[in-house]
Amino acid sequence: MRPENYNPVQHPPSHEYELYFGPNHPGIEGNYAIRVRLNGDLIQEAITDGGYLHRGFEKLMEQRLWIQNIALVPRICVPDPVPMEEAYARAVEALGGLEVPERAQWIRAMMLEMSRICAHLFTFGGNAATIGLYTNMFWGITMRDLFLDIFEEITGARIYHMYITPGGVRRDLPAGALDRLETVIEELERRTPEFEDLFFDSAVVIKRARGVGVISLENALAWGVTGPNLRASGMPSDVRRDDPYLVYPDIEFDVPTEIEGDALARLRVRQAEVTQSVRILRQVIERLRMIEGPVRCPLPNPLAWNIPAGEAYTRVESSKGEVGFFAVSDGGPKPYRVHVRGPSQMHAVQVLERVLKGSRLEDIAQIMFSLDACPPEVDR
Amino acid sequence: MSQSKGLPSSLDVILHEIPGVRMTPKEGRRIRVDSTPDSLPALLELLKGRMGFMHLSAISCVDWPETDEFELVYHVWSHERKSLVSAHVSIARDPGRFVSVYDIHTPAGFYERDIHEMFGVVFVGSPNLRKFILTSWDGPPPMLKSFDTLQYVNDTYAWVDYRPEWLRDIQGKGGGIVS
Repeated sequence: MRPENYNPVQHPPSHEYELYFGPNHPGIEGNYAIRVRLNGDLIQEAITDGGYLHRGFEKLMEQRLWIQNIALVPRICVPDPVPMEEAYARAVEALGGLEVPERAQWIRAMMLEMSRICAHLFTFGGNAATIGLYTNMFWGITMRDLFLDIFEEITGARIYHMYITPGGVRRDLPAGALDRLETVIEELERRTPEFEDLFFDSAVVIKRARGVGVISLENALAWGVTGPNLRASGMPSDVRRDDPYLVYPDIEFDVPTEIEGDALARLRVRQAEVTQSVRILRQVIERLRMIEGPVRCPLPNPLAWNIPAGEAYTRVESSKGEVGFFAVSDGGPKPYRVHVRGPSQMHAVQVLERVLKGSRLEDIAQIMFSLDACPPEVDR
Repeated sequence: MSQSKGLPSSLDVILHEIPGVRMTPKEGRRIRVDSTPDSLPALLELLKGRMGFMHLSAISCVDWPETDEFELVYHVWSHERKSLVSAHVSIARDPGRFVSVYDIHTPAGFYERDIHEMFGVVFVGSPNLRKFILTSWDGPPPMLKSFDTLQYVNDTYAWVDYRPEWLRDIQGKGGGIVS
């Protein structure tokens, strides 16, 4: 029996309301917000709101020496910092005409792939947490931590390594680092089947990710989608293969693709990429055991280092897509201009707004995590 | 890295159709194209339609106060030809207006909005030039070379002498911060 004073609010048959999703919300990735206009739980319109992490890196870089900016660039993307270091270093090398020694090139490829694995494990963890599967999150983060130990051993830092410098890397690998990396890779491979059972074979994951946030190949190409998100829509595009850098032409690896273009396909592409990164790491370890030599080319005094005037645009394949750095030098000791193109500048703004339209409120977090949007990259 | 075979010559044919365009092949699958402001939309349209340069990787803006110009650089990538064309165009800083290429490349929407916010360039026809990052900022566009960050800090904030207790203790023993 309803009480006598039961008097619920009478809504009109169809009504719209606005919801502010983020910046402080467990389902949002990073400090970011989305203003959604809803009808029931159906999204009519989504407007992204960034800037919570803006640190003015591009302006700061114009005020620091070329070498000092090594400390700034990894901070542009928190979960996957190494591609930023690589793109910046390569832009300086292109401008300054520096030749990176072979051993350093292999070490850099190793760092890039380790960073890719870490970022994907982080994404699996985050994605699982958005649909309530916390065990996956703990497992993913635990596995990532083992790689962070290796990073710490090699570079002295777990996240912002500041290790890749123009002309090579900061220092050579410590003795035994490759053996320990191999042990971590074996551990990753040992745990992977169990992780996949729990995550990719989970009815919850399949139910919540299949057919959600679909991006057709046509739209993906038109909207500027790159990286794993583009490959999940069926396009076998990878900067490492199409616009090769470092030693990638000497490494055998596949470019995994899916065709569905939904959240599940995006996760599966990343899952396959972890396997490919392990394959690359094994080849890199083998080579690094054979190659001796310097890890950095001779540099002039970095405090009085004038880079010849010119401009360079470098691209790197990060775990999220295409990273681009456009560096302009006027011949002085500091960059005249550095423009950073992060893949999430597309994925977290225009693409997210378009994909969310017509989706449901409960899928926002899942869609954002499956796109692997990285707000610090957007804000810079 | 090798230059894409045969690309510059076939690109030359297309570029001849547009007045005021000059091409310079560079190292590593990169081609620099200098264009006049009037020719740029036609250039991007032709590159996309006939040569497959359909991925707009980025639009970069550089402020050159000496010549009183903004340099806009459109980086377009071809998935088929595996090449990157960087199309450079210079526009007058005053009034700092240029045509939007959103109709040709959808990603331009974000980059134009970003450049408008950071440099003050107005892109005519861009779908959304609302503030994105600097929503509570009413100063000049901060990426302009004329915007001096140190000057801004000096004008806006008062310097406070930082002498916490723990530092005074250390200074009392003859230590301190090296300035």
